[in-house]
Amino acid sequence: MKTPLRLAALLVVTAVPALAQQPVIEISGANFRPMPLALPVPLAQDDGAKGATAEFDAALQFDLQACGLFQVLDRKSYLSDSKEGVTASTITFQNWLNVGAESLVKTQLSKDGENLRGDLRLFNVNAGREELKVSEAVPLKDARRLAHKLANAVYKHFTKETGPFESRIAFVRKSASGKDVYVADWDGKNASAVSNGNINVLPAVAPDRSVAFTSYKRGKPELFIGRGGAEATLLVSNGRMVSGVDFSPDGKRIAYSVADGENAEIWVANADGSGGTKVTDTKYFLNSSPSWSPDGKKLAFVSNRAGSPQVYVMNADGSDVKRLTFQGNYNQTPAWSPRGDLIAFTARDERNAFDLFTVEVATGKIKRLTQDAKNNEEPSFSPNGRLILFTSTRGGSKSLYVMTFEGNNQVALPLDKGDFTTPDWGS
Amino acid sequence: MSARTESLLQPRPTPLKGFVALSVAAHIVFPVLLTIIGWLIAPPKVALDPQPIKASLVRLGKKRDEKLLPRKEEPPPPPPAAEKTAPAVTPAPPDKAVAIPSKDAKADPKKDAAKEPAKDAKKSLFDAFNKTGRPTPDEPEGDPDGDKDGDSSKQEGERYFGLLSAVVKRNYDVSDTIPEGERRTLRATVVIKLGVTGELVDVELSKGSGNELFDAAVVGAVKKAAPFGPPPAHLRDSLKKNGVALVFSP
Repeated sequence: MKTPLRLAALLVVTAVPALAQQPVIEISGANFRPMPLALPVPLAQDDGAKGATAEFDAALQFDLQACGLFQVLDRKSYLSDSKEGVTASTITFQNWLNVGAESLVKTQLSKDGENLRGDLRLFNVNAGREELKVSEAVPLKDARRLAHKLANAVYKHFTKETGPFESRIAFVRKSASGKDVYVADWDGKNASAVSNGNINVLPAVAPDRSVAFTSYKRGKPELFIGRGGAEATLLVSNGRMVSGVDFSPDGKRIAYSVADGENAEIWVANADGSGGTKVTDTKYFLNSSPSWSPDGKKLAFVSNRAGSPQVYVMNADGSDVKRLTFQGNYNQTPAWSPRGDLIAFTARDERNAFDLFTVEVATGKIKRLTQDAKNNEEPSFSPNGRLILFTSTRGGSKSLYVMTFEGNNQVALPLDKGDFTTPDWGS
Repeated sequence: MSARTESLLQPRPTPLKGFVALSVAAHIVFPVLLTIIGWLIAPPKVALDPQPIKASLVRLGKKRDEKLLPRKEEPPPPPPAAEKTAPAVTPAPPDKAVAIPSKDAKADPKKDAAKEPAKDAKKSLFDAFNKTGRPTPDEPEGDPDGDKDGDSSKQEGERYFGLLSAVVKRNYDVSDTIPEGERRTLRATVVIKLGVTGELVDVELSKGSGNELFDAAVVGAVKKAAPFGPPPAHLRDSLKKNGVALVFSP
């Protein structure tokens, strides 16, 4: 009988520590940091490709650096020879490990008839293995587009999402004769004018890549639209001041603001400007800057109905209006994230600086994205919602910048000097 | 006595019924009694699935008006570096070469200041405006009763766990390449055991997230954060024997 008793006693003794309470601490709020990535100079395989190398290289470097996922390592630190091979068996991975790289991207360019061909290989440096191999071809003059295509492939490999590098943006640039609307690649390059002289502002890119904007060319502000390089045509004019257009995500409707005296209201119409309906009705107050929700059922907008400009949301027919921001007394230019959970906006803080914030649609929780870097305004989300395009005066004149939706990796677009305002990021 | 009356087959009175009845009664009464006694003298329940402790350390500073827009959460300033004593070196002979001023060379700022008194006056005026309502660098925002090592705007839970959490969080770096969709479900548990001086005695990934990058990052965060401060006396034994579980989510 002694043995079973001893066994029972032993079980009790060993069970006690297991039952002792172990404190559990929850830790969240990771510092997501870009992955260190090495990107050696592309190898040109023939003379035909040599001329395109610099442009291709600049575009690829910018894409990978500015998207916020990667920290492109300084080439001066590289230990491997620039002519090192592009296959796993010819790469000395230890050299790349030693410079802190976790990923390595090698590219080769070659002329293929009238086309420029680009081959990209992505390696996991720790594992010493190839993880992605992709090949694309474009007309010889489109070296930047080739870079954007290959950058998208790398982006998709890691995130499983479509990258933003082949999307288009619109913005306003000040000129000697006024302000003109331009449409360009996501990095601001390859820009072409949509308007022609006078004052043109507040562009919006439609899903079909046509660009609507507010123009003062006939005196009062009216909405115009430019399609495929043709001269812009009138979209909405109703004798009052019409401005600030935004396309619904399916491209079938537009929302805009119509001002009359001391009052401004939000209107919704068909994408061709027909069937306009007033959806807010607040005598003596201003309602402006509509931005569609990704499902096309709601609108975010600015209203001063409570005394100061604040961000509100409502159904697209004007029902169920809710105030979303309660902090700050000058909140404006809302932009609804394509993911639906956040609305980015500009706010003037207690130091009289304009900065960018996001507000969670579900909870109203506000997060600051920019701080202590002069004035930062006019946010617009990338099509996948991961990046925000905005204007900033941190470099002197107002220019365009991108950052992640959490406010990290704030990078200037490689634009010429100038005064750039009211950007909009299309698909 | 006759042989007939002494027969074993003769029916006799038996106590079996009484035993059965007693047994049934005992089987009913004893469990009921035990339950009642159990209720009366039951010890506090042991939580087999303990609730996580939310521990954050409020930083020392001035309280922020809730109506104001938020400021970015920033880590506390690093401790002041120990003064370095410059090694005694033999002074180099004076360079007699005269520098040739380049086209891009910046002019002497002192000379510029003398040339532009009006600009300076304007700047100081703007500076005066800018300072209005702005806390000075010596007045960080937080709580007057906060902690100099704090990194949060609110105080919760045991101070030592708050400190532990703040130090680990400062080293909690995760690769941005982890897809957004995956981040929402990532959860990893690391159990750490600490010595009396706060040194890391043991670290174990007790429950992985399924993502190699994330798991490596959370273990790395703990290792980089160690050693921690010495635990208070009432936690010392528990942290050494049972440890503390850190549940990481992005």
